[in-house]
Amino acid sequence: MQEGNQVCRPAEARGAAAWHRRSVLLGAAGFGLLGAPSILRAQAAFGSRPIEVVTHAGVGGGTDITARMTAVDAAAALGTEIVVVNKTGGSGAAALAYAAQRPKDGHTVLLLTQTHLLTMLRSRTGTQMEDLVAIARATEDPQVVMVRADSPLRSADELASIGKERSLRFGITHVGSVDHVATVGFAKAAGIRPPTAVPFRGGGDIVVNLVGGNIDVGLLNFAEGEAQLRAGEVRPLMVLSRERMTSLPEAPTARELRIDFVSATTRGYAVMKGVPEDRIARLEEGMLKGLRGPTFSNYLKTSGQALDSVAGRAEWQAQLEAFSNEGRQALADLGVAR
Amino acid sequence: MEAFLAGMAILADPFALFMIVAGTVIGITVGALPGISGSTTIALMLPITLGLDPVVSLAFLGSIYCAANFGGSITAILVNAPGDPSASATALEGYKMAERGEAGMALGMSAVASAIGGIFSVVVMIVAAPLLSRAAYSFGPPEYLALALFGLSMCAAVGGDSAVKNLIAATFGVLLATVGIDLTTGVERYTFGFYDLTDGVSFVAALIGLFAVGEMLDQATQQMGKPTLLKMDAVRVPGRAEFRKCNRSIWLGSVIGTFIGILPALGATAAALIGYNETRRWSKHKHEFGHGSIEGVAGPEAANNAAVGGGMVPTLALGIPGSATTAIILAGLIVQGVRPGPHLFNEQPRLLYAVFASMLAANILYLVIGLGAAKLFARISLIPAALLWPAVFVLSVIGAYGANQSMGDVWLMMAFGILGFAFRRTGFSPAPLIMGLVLGSMVEESLKQSILIFGDDVVGGFIGRPIALVLFAITALGLLVPPVLRATARLRQPQAREV
Repeated sequence: MQEGNQVCRPAEARGAAAWHRRSVLLGAAGFGLLGAPSILRAQAAFGSRPIEVVTHAGVGGGTDITARMTAVDAAAALGTEIVVVNKTGGSGAAALAYAAQRPKDGHTVLLLTQTHLLTMLRSRTGTQMEDLVAIARATEDPQVVMVRADSPLRSADELASIGKERSLRFGITHVGSVDHVATVGFAKAAGIRPPTAVPFRGGGDIVVNLVGGNIDVGLLNFAEGEAQLRAGEVRPLMVLSRERMTSLPEAPTARELRIDFVSATTRGYAVMKGVPEDRIARLEEGMLKGLRGPTFSNYLKTSGQALDSVAGRAEWQAQLEAFSNEGRQALADLGVAR
Repeated sequence: MEAFLAGMAILADPFALFMIVAGTVIGITVGALPGISGSTTIALMLPITLGLDPVVSLAFLGSIYCAANFGGSITAILVNAPGDPSASATALEGYKMAERGEAGMALGMSAVASAIGGIFSVVVMIVAAPLLSRAAYSFGPPEYLALALFGLSMCAAVGGDSAVKNLIAATFGVLLATVGIDLTTGVERYTFGFYDLTDGVSFVAALIGLFAVGEMLDQATQQMGKPTLLKMDAVRVPGRAEFRKCNRSIWLGSVIGTFIGILPALGATAAALIGYNETRRWSKHKHEFGHGSIEGVAGPEAANNAAVGGGMVPTLALGIPGSATTAIILAGLIVQGVRPGPHLFNEQPRLLYAVFASMLAANILYLVIGLGAAKLFARISLIPAALLWPAVFVLSVIGAYGANQSMGDVWLMMAFGILGFAFRRTGFSPAPLIMGLVLGSMVEESLKQSILIFGDDVVGGFIGRPIALVLFAITALGLLVPPVLRATARLRQPQAREV
């Protein structure tokens, strides 16, 4: 009955979990007799409970599906069940608050996106970036600057020249969102007038309004506009990644066009600070196995994302910190920082 | 044709057929339970289906999707707790029928209307999906604004004792729709710092509270005499006379539901509400509405199930899902290596026809199950109130919690329960309130989006949108024509007598 909870329990993992649980229990009992430090008894043995992956996204979106696709193989690698918990509300604030009140024993993992970082920067939560420890990055889906097939913006040059004459209409998801920050950042880097940001409920709505001619430009993920790209209804002007995308080999990167701007929809796993180091290491190992397993790899491939989206703890931590710094500046520019 | 037959061949494969039957049974069950919706179930099942053959897994998910929408009507009719938000319009009339002891009639009509609506929309999807999907592109914010206003324009006519009360309830609903982070400004409105309110008033919690909890409170005040019990053989299912009466409502609902389903920004709930409005508008028995009209069950049920097939049109033909459920089915398709888009219909027809075949099969299956079990389900309404309503309450709490896994929603449900009780006592109806809540935010958002898109010349912008203008005109006619007709009839009557 618990909505949004999904249990992955491969047969072999069940056996391993039971064996592991027994050995850990025996070990713990032994230590207890020897008068071990209380911390060992206070924390549930790792893998003795299902691991909760907490996401701020509702059931069915790209973020939720990322969690579920990771869980399939990660559950086997970690030897326990993985349950996806959807704590929607407050643009990640509810998910952060929930994770913060759970025991720091490694059984609660956050699926973090840039949205959480912006929410923390707007100080809607007690949790801040310093309170989080990165585990692994799951997706890094570059944004693509798309226009309608018959748009007068045929090239990056025309985008720049027309964008200097009038304020272009960009489709975004709500004000102060990751998209909005990216749109403002892109306009600044491209040297065009501040765009008119038209907010929509999601990427699908932006695509519809792009094809329908209600907006001039959309910053979209490849998968969001794939059907329209293939049908020749929208054109990619440039991709906002460092390298060209394998799924759109002809589209130049913004950097090739001397627009120094990179933006991607990034999602990855993290835990609250305070989880013991050995458990963080095991979580990283297990989550990476899940992310490099056949199910998730296939998901990345079919949604047009690169396999090197998956990255370990060190790279993901550095990226999170960089995001946090950029985001602070961007929110100040938008005038929505609190 | 060859591809069509190859697709249909899925129904001859015993395993595939088993999965379709399983999907239908699961779908009806989760649809009937408030709080666990078809979309959640499909999300839970998605990883499990990855190991299956793509055709079988899509057939399985498709049949859950179809059946869940029907299942929602069962609890709506029996205990006034819509198992799925899209069944709220059904609860308005269906539960009134059940109170009269006509639960079997309402359940049977719901099964038939749902199946006809569902099959109609699947056939439309087979024949014209690539063509119809273009309609999604012609609907921008100005058109949605016009459509939402059209839906809202009927709110005074639907529901309670008087037009004034209906307008008050509808206005309150529109006001409630403003709660949450405003899409166009990012400002929090009326959230009082609660996370649970940042995404707006939880629709599931509000519905369960207004309908089920409100009804429970009302029952609690009336538990004086001995409850009247109906015998099993007294349970009647609809016959030819009922179907003849509902014929028009079913077709009207099917067409409206399919059309609204095709529009990505509107879903089965809006389809059911607009279907309900229009059924009433074109009915010859308007006076029955609000007191347990069988047409009022048939119309919205046909519409919300037709929205299922309609919703698959943009999902398959454009890769744009219109609801949480179709978003998950889309993800399932993509993971299985199916690339949605107009070309899908030429490149992978076998798979596509297999999806159609399974959705058709699911519609027929739940019709059989629904009609067969209508008499049995109807017995639920014979359970003594002292046992039934506490059980409904427990389900309601779980249901309100389940949608977002938040206690805040449970408190919200309680508050709406008290409101629902007060409504009942004072002659208000929840119908206009729900309409305001569903369509209010769409009016506000699409108006603000239109203003942003049109820039300085808002009036000129709207004049350049023929679809929106036509919809505005229909709305105006719908509001002006009835009073004008009434006035002219009043003028003519005395003259006619003199002649």
